[in-house]
Amino acid sequence: MKTWQRVKEDPNLLKNYLVREKVVDTIRSFFKKRDFREVFTPILVPVPSIEPNLEVFKTELRTSKGLKRDGYLIMSPEFSIKKLIAGGVGNCFEITKCFRNEEEVSAFHNPEFTMLEWYRLNADYFDVMKDFENLFCEVIKSVNPNVDLTKWEYQGKLYDLTPPWPRVKIADAFRKYAGGNVLEVEDEDFYKIYFNEIEPELLKLKKPYFIYDYPISQASLSKQAKDPRFAERFEVFLGGVELGNCFSELTNPVEQKKRFEADLAERKRLGKTIYPIDEDLIKALMELPVMSGIAVGVDRLVMLAADASSISETLFFPGKELFDL
Amino acid sequence: MNTINAGNIAKGGFIIFKGAPVFITKAEFMSPGKGSPVMRIKFKNVKTGTAGEFTYKTGEIVEVAEIEKKEMEYLYRDGEDLIFMDPKSYDQVNIPLALVEDQFGYLTPNLKCWIVWYKGSPIGVNLPAHVTLKVTESPDEVTGNRVNAPKKTVKLETGIEAQVPLFIKVGEKVQLDTGTGEYLGRVK
Repeated sequence: MKTWQRVKEDPNLLKNYLVREKVVDTIRSFFKKRDFREVFTPILVPVPSIEPNLEVFKTELRTSKGLKRDGYLIMSPEFSIKKLIAGGVGNCFEITKCFRNEEEVSAFHNPEFTMLEWYRLNADYFDVMKDFENLFCEVIKSVNPNVDLTKWEYQGKLYDLTPPWPRVKIADAFRKYAGGNVLEVEDEDFYKIYFNEIEPELLKLKKPYFIYDYPISQASLSKQAKDPRFAERFEVFLGGVELGNCFSELTNPVEQKKRFEADLAERKRLGKTIYPIDEDLIKALMELPVMSGIAVGVDRLVMLAADASSISETLFFPGKELFDL
Repeated sequence: MNTINAGNIAKGGFIIFKGAPVFITKAEFMSPGKGSPVMRIKFKNVKTGTAGEFTYKTGEIVEVAEIEKKEMEYLYRDGEDLIFMDPKSYDQVNIPLALVEDQFGYLTPNLKCWIVWYKGSPIGVNLPAHVTLKVTESPDEVTGNRVNAPKKTVKLETGIEAQVPLFIKVGEKVQLDTGTGEYLGRVK
């Protein structure tokens, strides 16, 4: 039976699917109250972002006159938003659809998903941590106005959501829980150690937590920390679910181009779809102010707010059902 | 020694984890933006039924438990164990209930199942792809959508519930898919 049919038979089910509307409304009002502009960037682009491990949906754009161009569905709106900020838009946010191919369609992943990104000017990643804590608490309160934030329940477990949430330096976590120096850990072993040895300890905090300062080899689009062996980047987790990934944004075009070239080489090595580097973005970086930005999976926020165990329970048309996966 | 890449571990399989055979209950491929993709698995120890989880790099070599299968009949539940019997030799084996938790409701006496053996010990059960069960309770009247293959929830002889078409009555037998729980047809 399809979701719409199940909802028709049991209207009580509708409740979970309507949480999304509330969450999106709350996100909008949260940022508008803080004078962030809402921006709208393209989903179909000539050059998508270049994360080495992510695969893209590729298509072809054809005009009636026979012009042909490669087209890609975005994996994140980051490149377009940065160009807008270079153009002078200021503090801004976007809620948009993103697409990732060749991923496991699982409790926390759908091929098409909704991403929230926001960028705060003249700010660093610690400022965005505060934004995230406040936003998350507002989202939870908007869906459940009588909630006690010190005892918020998700899937039968209690979490204390009151800010500030623990901020855990990655190097400290590896030393404390895995007995090693994170700088000596090969990138390819990083997540194996993280999930097997570190995450189980962090879950005992019974709070959401930020883990920050990644080894520079995993900097992606973030700038160097004061200790140049690390990058100013954090990820935020709740109950083992990754909710967001934040950078103090790298604004050095030379360094960014170098990283893109390395990412491109890695894509080639992994047999991923190859496309050019976004030279327009490299140019835009020269105009960028000091700023910090984050990408947050909206479907996961909705799942948590609805106390659902998977994002598909809050999607009218989950990928599994839509494509018979 | 049979091995596979961790990336190929699949739900329902058996691997050797830290020297002991385990039954895979969940296997999820995950690709972080940076770093190497991983395979996150959940499993049950086949001797104790105890659940655990582990994360492998997808390229890691993992030992597969070399298993054999033998057809046996389900007899009854004894506390936390299920008792099966070889219909030829009358040999009986105990299987921890925890290993068939989700599918327990499909077991009826004398149902033929494949018992999974590892090094001379029974470690798991594979149910037939579908089973036939009798309907014991059904709502009298079902309102609602009658246009698109309308279904109702009924109770079956083993205590589980299933979604079946409206025309099914108490006392009739229905065939269910043991993997998905879906109704397949009425059995006369």
